[in-house]
This record gives sequence, C-alpha cells and structure tokens, in this order.
Amino acid sequence: MINYIPILNILILILFSFIIIIVKNNKKVKFISLASNIFVFFLSIILARKVLTQNIITLSLGDPNNLLGIEFLISKPEAVIGLIFTFVMVMILWYSNFYLEKEVSENRISFFYLLINILLASLLGVIYTNDLFNSYVFIEISTLSACGIIILKDKKENIKATIKYLIMSTIGSGLVLMAIAYIYSITGHLNISNIHEIIITNYQFHRNAVLIILGLFTVGLGIKSAVFPLHSWLPDAHSSAPTPASAVLSALVIKVYVFMLIKILFRMFSYEIVNSFIIMDIILLLGSMGMIFGSIMAIMQKELKRMVAYSSVAQMGYIVFGIGLGTISGTAIAIYHIIGHAVTKSSLFLISGLLIDKTGSKKIEDLKGIGKEMPFTLGLFTLGAFSMVGIPILPGFISKWYLSLTCIEVGRVPLILIILASSLLNVLYYFPIVINGYFGNDNLEGKIYKAKKIPFINLLPIILLVISMVVIGGMSYNLIGLFNI
Amino acid sequence: MERDIILKEIGKILIPLVQLFGIYVIINGHLSPGGGFSGGTILGTSLIIMHLIYGENFIKNLYSKKKLILIISISLIFYTLIKGYSFLSTELNLPHPPIGNPGNILSSGFILPLNIAVGLLVASIFYVIFSIFIRDEV
Amino acid sequence: MDILLTNYFETGAIILFGVGFATLMLHRNLIKKIIGMNIMDTAIFLFFIAKGYIKGKEAPIITDSFKGVSNYINPVPSALMLTGIVVAVTTTAFALALTIKLHKHYNTVDLDIILRMRGDQND
Repeated sequence: MINYIPILNILILILFSFIIIIVKNNKKVKFISLASNIFVFFLSIILARKVLTQNIITLSLGDPNNLLGIEFLISKPEAVIGLIFTFVMVMILWYSNFYLEKEVSENRISFFYLLINILLASLLGVIYTNDLFNSYVFIEISTLSACGIIILKDKKENIKATIKYLIMSTIGSGLVLMAIAYIYSITGHLNISNIHEIIITNYQFHRNAVLIILGLFTVGLGIKSAVFPLHSWLPDAHSSAPTPASAVLSALVIKVYVFMLIKILFRMFSYEIVNSFIIMDIILLLGSMGMIFGSIMAIMQKELKRMVAYSSVAQMGYIVFGIGLGTISGTAIAIYHIIGHAVTKSSLFLISGLLIDKTGSKKIEDLKGIGKEMPFTLGLFTLGAFSMVGIPILPGFISKWYLSLTCIEVGRVPLILIILASSLLNVLYYFPIVINGYFGNDNLEGKIYKAKKIPFINLLPIILLVISMVVIGGMSYNLIGLFNI
Repeated sequence: MERDIILKEIGKILIPLVQLFGIYVIINGHLSPGGGFSGGTILGTSLIIMHLIYGENFIKNLYSKKKLILIISISLIFYTLIKGYSFLSTELNLPHPPIGNPGNILSSGFILPLNIAVGLLVASIFYVIFSIFIRDEV
Repeated sequence: MDILLTNYFETGAIILFGVGFATLMLHRNLIKKIIGMNIMDTAIFLFFIAKGYIKGKEAPIITDSFKGVSNYINPVPSALMLTGIVVAVTTTAFALALTIKLHKHYNTVDLDIILRMRGDQND
C-alpha cells in the first residue's frame, strides 16, 4: 500500500479540491483544505521513511511494462522535496486561515483553497512523475492555478502581472512541448528511464537534435522558473499576489520547474552527455548572472515584497549555478538549496505580509522602528535574512560553502568570487531593513500603528518554518548525502 | 430580445438532434472515434445555441448556474474516485468490472462511466464559460 | 532540401511554429498574441501527429478483424495531442478572460501601453 502513496497524495488533494466547490461556508472550506493538506503531509512522511530505507520506489500505472502507461519514480530527492513542500504548504495554509481576509474579498476565499489544493497536487505530480508528457500536463495545470491565485486580488496590477505571467509561461510550455515532440521522434518513448537507455547509446548520431532538445528544455523550463534574463514576469507576479500566494509561488512553484530541469538533464540524459555540449556553460553563466543582477535589482527596490521577490531571482541563480557545474555534488547542492530556500523564502514572505499589514505601507522606508513595535516578528525576519546572507549553520551558508568547495573541485576557482560578491550584495539589501527596524527612530513619533498585537498562535506557523530552516541547516551534511542523483 | 420565428422553429427541430448526436458520441466513445470531450463539446454547443435563440431566461429555468456547478463538481468527484479506484485496483487485486464483449455498449470496464462523467462536465463547463463571457462577468 | 521535402509535415510544422512564436513574441496586441499562441500549439500538434502517422494506414479501431500491427498508425501521439488540445483550450479561455478584464481597466489591449502604465498609482 505504501507504494501507492504518490498517486494517493495527488488523488486526495484533487478530490478535496472538488469537494470545496460545493461547500459554501468559508470556515468549512478552510478546514477541509487544511485537513487534506495535513493528511497528505503525513502520507509524505510515511513515503519518505519508506524511500530512505528502500532507495527507490517505482509505481507503474496503466501498463506494467511502462511502454504506454505512466510511471512514478520516487527516489530520495523526490521524497524529501515532496515532504518539505507539503510541510511548507500546510504552514502557509495555517497562516492564510487568519490572514487571507485582509487581502482577498469574502466571496473569493474558497477559490484560493480550491486552487491551492490543485496547485499542490500538480506540483507533487511534477516532482513524482517519470513520464515526460505527464509532467507537461502537470506543469500546465500548475501554471494555470498559479495564475489563478495571483488574480484573486482584483486589482489592476494583479491582472497585468497575471497576463504577463501567462504569456511568458505559454511560450515556455510551448517550447517544452516541442522538446518533448523532438525526443519522442528520436526515441519513441516518453518514459524518462526508457529514453535514457536509448539515448545513452545513440546520442552521437543525433548531436544536433540533442542540442536543440537541451536548448528547448533549458529555455522553456527556465522561463517558468525565472532564470535570470527570463525573469521579467516574476517581480510583478510575486509582489502583487496576496501574501500567502506569493509565499507559495516563490517558495514552491518556481522550484518545481528547476527540479524538472535537473531530472531531464541528469536522469534522462546523463552527466556525460550534457557535459559534452556547450549548454552547461550557458546554464552556469545564466546562474552567475542571476546571482549578481538579481541582488543588484533587489537593492534598487523600494517596496518590501518586490525586494523579496527579486531576491528569489538571485536565489534561483544559486540553484542554476549548482546545476551548471555539471557534477554530482553540484546537483546535490542545487537540490539542497531548493528545499532550504523553500523554507526560508516562505517564512520571509509571510513575515513581510505581517509587517506590511502592521504598518499599512508597502515601502521599505516606512519599516524604520518597527522592531520596537514587534521585536519578535522582526527577529524571525532577521533569522531568515541571515540565512539568505549566509551566516553559518543556516541553509544559505551551507549551500554557498559547498558550492565554493565544488567550484574548487572542478577547478573553477574564480567562480568563488561571484558567490562572495553575491553574498555581499545580499547583505546590502537585507541588513538595512533589520538595522533600521531595530535602531531607526524617525518614524516613531506621532505614528499610530494600525493593527493590534499579533497573537502567538498566529505566529506559530512562521516559527515552525524558521525552526525547520535551522534544522535543515543543521542536518545539511546528511541531507546533501541523500541528494546524489 | 425577441428572435425570429424561423430561428425558433428550426431550433426546435435541430437542437434535439444535436443533443442526441452529442449523447451518441459520448455513449459510443469506447467503440468509435469520439468520447467524453468531443461529445461534451457537442452537448455544450447545443446549450449555447439554446441560449442564443431562446434567450437567457429560458435556459436559466432549465439549468441554473448553481445546478451546473453542482453537475461539474459531482462529475469531477465521480471521475476522481473511479479513476483512482482503477489505478489502485489493478495491482491490489480489487474487484474490477468485466471487460465484456468488444463492440457492445456495456463493455470495456470503467471507460463508459468515465466518458459519461467527462461529457457532463465538459458540456456544463463550456456553457458556464460562455455565459460568463456573454454576461460580462469575467 | 530533399530532406525538407520528404518530411513535409515536419517542415510545415516547424514553419508554423516559427510563425506562431514570432506572433506571440513580436505583436503588441493581446488578441494577436493569443492567436499566435494558438498557432504555436497547433504546429506542435501537427508535428506530434505527423510522427505517428504512416501514409496509407488506418486508425487503430478494430471493427471486423485484426489486420496485424503493421496495418495501423501509431495511436499514442494522437491520444497525447487530445490532452494537448484540452490544455490549449483552457489556456486560451483563461487568456481571453484576462484580456477582457484588462480592457475594462485600461481601455486598451496593447500590452506595451498597459505595461507602461503603473497600475498601483490609482488603487
């Protein structure tokens, strides 16, 4: 029965999302959504425990020879990513249960939970699946539901951001589908393992086609995961969405596509094949550009959520950088950064939602002196910022440290300078908020804060996220050991 | 808005035929080209034609929006349950409907009920999309 | 050149893909962008289905007697593209709905003008 947990996860989430359509009462909707997500979280724990002892679980649906059927393949990275993503989603839902009314009108709240359930189901589908066309369908579902949760706030900028996101990601999915068509015409398979067996022996005869396929996949999935020059939709979409939605988008949605890219590059092709093409150098270049320019653009932002969104571009740069190194250890760190950043960025977004709600202003400069009003919340923000900047033990530091080690290992020592420069730039935009928040005084006089004190129970999801962030940092050695695809 | 009498009378003859054809495509989906999506589209089109010829109120009395959304969600739930059961049942050795004689209407296991669910879903969702667009409620 | 002519389905599909992609990228009008998106998707459907089609063979629906595997076309690409068509329909409907909404708020469907206007000034 445990082998069936991946499909059960997806089915349960989708089933409950359709039950939400019928239920009218917002309270019941919240309860149903949270309950189904918690249930899926526990199932993911069971799955992860099983995978850690058994290494790999394959699940063939429809056709046991998986020539026609769909296959799910869960190895250690998939299980851990699925576990962390469901955990983050439960925390975000808990937070949105008391927060969402502040940004979304009453009659649209049930749509949020409906879309969140479908979104998580499709994200888990992309993570678990071992079939190219199936992953395309899940990618499309996740894109459409992600567009849906942006547009819940019925404002001009949301519609603009959504149409930008939709058009960009349509280009991306068109390119991905074209790449799937190419690979199907070369190999005659859609199952990633079957394709791997064929392409590993035949790729010399189709070098141009393989290069085209690699390019199409990289650009297509790169658009969807906001790799640097293709990121222009991300800041608008992530900063204008309601806060729980931006946490979901920034922490989970863009990561899934980059994980799909990892699966395609290293599981469908192999290190040997991809390293013989120029594509890995291009990916490395895009990653390093993203690390630098994402941070520079984040420094120039005046709105808090926009800044955090641009910081996501920089952090995607780290993940892509890890992939671009083209070694097993580089990929392991990329996957580690996926989960580390998922936990960190979701907590940062949720806290900035609270800060914005408290001060009633989106601007960074209005946050001066907020630390005297809500020291504990800003303390949590500080921890998240420390992780982004790279203070030891926290996940951000671990990824930077191991990335540098891998750079030395592959003999590309100058690249460490880029990592260092990016960390310094991170300091430049996160620390002013913290320092001005605790020590700035000029906003305090005559200022009346809008909200009351936040009850402890409402802070609990953020606290749990931050605690899990520290735990992920502490367990880094064991975790990275698991992630060797 | 009052429509032309020719339109109404021709509609009376043609719409049942269109709907019958849609139902045929759905029911016969596992034996010939067609199936839930194509048949559902035909059924949905007939609803749209009804809306255009006889006006909004006529169809509102037959299928209100609430009813349509209920149909959508129930057929989705039904689809998820049946499809999930068919995924799980193959290897857990749970009971499975008989495959039957190829060529019979009642054959090929779960495909017929799934087609009917998809047909109902697609027909109602096409009409809902249309009515959202035409009533400017986007 | 000879390869292009013998594989005329694929050639046509790639040309159509280029047309759709260029329309999607270069046009400023949102409706034209959506049309370009549809052309692009259709080109991929053509490419995929051409991969499964064998000239002179029939669809694999067995009515009277089974004629052997080599007498039927490959049904997998057609089945995949049915899903692709559904996805394309959904995306198009969503994009059109968004376009109507944008037109209500901005009174134009020109994406460049819309992007130049800052949305948050008159919230």
